Amino acid sequence: MTTTFDLGSLTPGDVAQVVRIDGEDLLAGRLEAAGFWPGTTVSVVRCAPLGGPIQYRLRGFRLALRRNEAQRVLVRRVDAES
Amino acid sequence: MNDVRSPDSGAGGTADDGGAGASTVDAGSSSDSTLTTIGLVGRANSGKTSVVMHLTGTARRPVNFPGSSVECVECRARWEGRDLRFVDLPGIADLAAVTRDEQEALSFLQGESKIGKPDALCVVLDASKLSVELRLLREVGRLGLPLVVVLNKVDVARREGEEVDVDALSARLGVPVHVTNGLRGTGVKDLRRPLLDATQVGAGTELEDFDPEELGRAVTSAAAPGRRNITDTLDGILLHRVLGLPILAVVLYLVFQSVYTVAEPFMGWVEAGQEALAAAVESGLDPGALRAFLIDGLINGVGSVLIFLPQIALLIAIVTILEATGYMARAAYLLDRLLGRFGLSGRSFVPLATSFACAIPGILATRIIDDERDRLATILVAPLMSCSARLPVYVVLIGAFFPASWAGLVLFALYALGIVVAVLVALFLRKTVLRGGQSMLVMELPAYQPPAWRVVGRSVFSACKNFIVMAGTIIFATAIIVWALSYYPRPASIHEDFEAQRATVTADANLDESVREEVLSRLEFREHRAYFEQSYLAKIGKTIQPVFAPAGFDWRITVGVLSAFPARELIVPTLGILYSVPDVDPGGYDLTALTGEAPDGLRDRLRNAKDAEGRPVFNALVALAVMVFFALCSQCAATLGAIRRETGGWHWAAVTFGYMTGLAWLAAVAVYQVGSLFGYGLPG
Repeated sequence: MTTTFDLGSLTPGDVAQVVRIDGEDLLAGRLEAAGFWPGTTVSVVRCAPLGGPIQYRLRGFRLALRRNEAQRVLVRRVDAES
Repeated sequence: MNDVRSPDSGAGGTADDGGAGASTVDAGSSSDSTLTTIGLVGRANSGKTSVVMHLTGTARRPVNFPGSSVECVECRARWEGRDLRFVDLPGIADLAAVTRDEQEALSFLQGESKIGKPDALCVVLDASKLSVELRLLREVGRLGLPLVVVLNKVDVARREGEEVDVDALSARLGVPVHVTNGLRGTGVKDLRRPLLDATQVGAGTELEDFDPEELGRAVTSAAAPGRRNITDTLDGILLHRVLGLPILAVVLYLVFQSVYTVAEPFMGWVEAGQEALAAAVESGLDPGALRAFLIDGLINGVGSVLIFLPQIALLIAIVTILEATGYMARAAYLLDRLLGRFGLSGRSFVPLATSFACAIPGILATRIIDDERDRLATILVAPLMSCSARLPVYVVLIGAFFPASWAGLVLFALYALGIVVAVLVALFLRKTVLRGGQSMLVMELPAYQPPAWRVVGRSVFSACKNFIVMAGTIIFATAIIVWALSYYPRPASIHEDFEAQRATVTADANLDESVREEVLSRLEFREHRAYFEQSYLAKIGKTIQPVFAPAGFDWRITVGVLSAFPARELIVPTLGILYSVPDVDPGGYDLTALTGEAPDGLRDRLRNAKDAEGRPVFNALVALAVMVFFALCSQCAATLGAIRRETGGWHWAAVTFGYMTGLAWLAAVAVYQVGSLFGYGLPG
């Protein structure tokens, strides 16, 4: 199925694949430069306390995004492999 | 040091930078034809700074991009008779500039920067995230410049479970890929030949066409699949939902504790050196203007600032180590939400925490904030954090006017006042002058690694050097002015009057020798005070006193406040002179004195001080107003100098001075007036 979510709506432990980045502004450019390319596998590692930034893992490194930043990345859910 | 600003080097300052930023181009750096410029390009955390340090090993010096606060570092080297200049550019993620750092780096790469054009580029790639690095390489490759491609952090990639096939990468790119370890410096020497060659080919390096995603995947393989690496294990603890913040609090506590305890003996040395120097001058010179200037103006003025050098060096070292190991990014991650509510960002945290010891390293540390508005807001509120120089003032006044059981509470309230006001000011700034813009986080949490000690050493050295230069120029100048105003005029009548009194005492045969000495030394002190009370500084104090009258300050407190503008702790010796206590040492108070039993000379004098009509000039309310004034006022020339340096002009330094001093006055007046309403004012 091809239901897309925004990356900010996922919870720790979820794994997803990037579909596209929403918009074409500076933030979109930043996300692009950070490696959120279509097809990239992203896993949600953890959320900071007090509703702070969310830590992701993609392309072999760790990245922190605020929730509103993560919402700009549209993803497709992938079954977490065992 | 390139901080000496020539009047106008023709670079043409833009209107909005106050004209001060236009003149830092090194003479000859861009026009010298024999000098070859190599730009170091890479993302933040790629390790290019360590690479360039191992490459040259020579003194690095900061270079300001004209007309902006952005600073990069350049190193010089002479290889095979050729002079090379390495420009360590701010980290960039791609060639779309967002921050001012990136804009300047980009204009340099495109040959449009005033700091010169690159003859060749050294692109440093982080092996642990190869595909995004290759995307940057592809963009840089389109600039048409000779390139040397360096693959760094191969060991980190291996720890993270990825092995890069360097030969395959070279083959696919069509250029050699040089492997280095920036931490240890291995492989860096082998870069010399390719770099020298690259500067001579004269044509841009042609990279084979590639897709970063596909190529990255093609040349990496899993090294040790399934193994949980040390970074993930550490993050599991340090970024824990519940434990993360308490651990951060403990780390910070230890940092501050060490800053106070470890720096203490070194500060003692500075103080001892200062005293020894003053004593040598005192014994070597006859009394007079020169001796008074050297001791009171020069040695004590500059010394009272240099005393903070050990703390600054230590803090910079700790901050650099925390940054290099990767923990600082975690602290920013943990606190981003909290600080975001106050219009700051997670990255503002370290500079603000540092400012509790001293605002100067705090302001230097704001360089890690990549959003310019966040950075400015942080710089502007950092001096509100109660720095260690405020402590002597608090200790003297709390000890004199508050019962010991209240001391801790009052002290805590003064620290809290600074924080609360800083939060309100930050909110205000972000809603007005620094409004707008979407501050972004998008922050990498790099793999943990030991710090490159060479980088730490250089950072400390460079911070200390900047601080000493500042102490030697701005502080020096202000110390001279304040001293001269407090020393002149020297009417002969005062001298003759005291000479006569001395003659009487000396001639009095009934006096015991020890009593005579005592009386003579008191006379000398009273002479000192007599001069002071008719000095220009005192006249200014009496003239300006009406401004501070609503806060309950008499002319002497006003003079103390005025003399403390170069460095706030200077009020202690000034009050000492004004209230007839000799030998007041600004550094000699510590927290233990708050609860100490021994009567303190200055405190007793302050308690008992009377004005011309015999009314007391000080009480607890006045003392509180003075302390509130000191908590908020911008009384540190060194901090203003640091703000000028870091923002590229006097503009923001003036704003800081204006708002802090204004708020300090308002708050002091509010304290005194409200207190007086409740009957705590001075009788009169």
